[in-house]
Amino acid sequence: MKINISRQHIYLMALSFFLFIFVLVFSFGVLIPQGKEYRIKRVELKKLSKELRAYKNLHSETAQTLQDLRSKNRSIITAFDATFNPERFEKQNKQYFSSLKVKEVDFSKVEDQFAIYEVNTTSEISSPTNFYKFLDAVNKSDWMIEVNFPIDFKRDGEMIKSSFKMKVYCNNNDTNATASSSEAK
Amino acid sequence: MMKYSYIAPKRKSILTEEMQLLLTFFAITLFMLFTTFSFLLYKNYSFNKDKAMVIKEKQRLEESMGKLQADIAFIEVQKALSERVYTKNTVLKESITNLFDLIPTRITLSRAELLENGLILYGITPNKDIYNFMLQAPLRSIFHRTYSSFYAQENGWLRFVSTNYIDKEESIDEN
Repeated sequence: MKINISRQHIYLMALSFFLFIFVLVFSFGVLIPQGKEYRIKRVELKKLSKELRAYKNLHSETAQTLQDLRSKNRSIITAFDATFNPERFEKQNKQYFSSLKVKEVDFSKVEDQFAIYEVNTTSEISSPTNFYKFLDAVNKSDWMIEVNFPIDFKRDGEMIKSSFKMKVYCNNNDTNATASSSEAK
Repeated sequence: MMKYSYIAPKRKSILTEEMQLLLTFFAITLFMLFTTFSFLLYKNYSFNKDKAMVIKEKQRLEESMGKLQADIAFIEVQKALSERVYTKNTVLKESITNLFDLIPTRITLSRAELLENGLILYGITPNKDIYNFMLQAPLRSIFHRTYSSFYAQENGWLRFVSTNYIDKEESIDEN
């Protein structure tokens, strides 16, 4: 039996075959791996975006917390930033004393990120009540001041001569330290 | 030229109907394949770009977050220190108030030295008994060690120096 296939049909079949093979090879060799990669990357990006969103929320919350802390503790932060000014201190607190003199401001040490200055003062008060008022006022002053020992009260006629030490705390940075020491001079 | 047919011969084309059908079919298939391939290529490129952006953004946020947390920690330290300082000042005020309240009216103080762990009082008392009962007794209940010395005055009154100390180790043990 003789199969009679025209040359035209042979060309047609060969072309179909080659194109079919090309489609198969292209699909399995290129398209499907690319599709897999696409799927993996899409999932990965979705996960990363979700993480980023969560992190952004956390960041906003932290920024808000910082903002709240700053506004609640504004006076404290300003007090630590402020450079001690003996003249201004005397001016602000002279109402509690008959006389008040800041004798010397010395850099003491650095402790827990804070520079500590020791300030020696001498003063005269008419009654201890004024000293209590001064101690109340110190907690509301422009600087972070701790009234420290030794404190000496000495009767001098109707007045009480007092001398005491104060520790002034401020943020430890070079500019602040330089400014303070220069003002102390 | 001699003719063998009554109809005019048609020119044979390579694009027969079957061939056209086949090419159309494959053309559509290939078009779809390449379109899909281009789409995937573009998307993968876009994903890579977005991923790099997300990572960069996250790094930026992490740096910023580190700074925010450091700022928060520093403010917390400042707050704790300020509370400690304010408490110390308040306690000092109360200590001085208590000290002056402690002095009986019959005894006159001429000087008071408040030390880190002690108190030195200078003053005048009419006699030792008043000093012992009205000043030394309460001082003994506050301080661990109390020493007193007296100097007689011309008017019969006594000038006294009272030195009082709190032992640090004991006070730590008590806490």
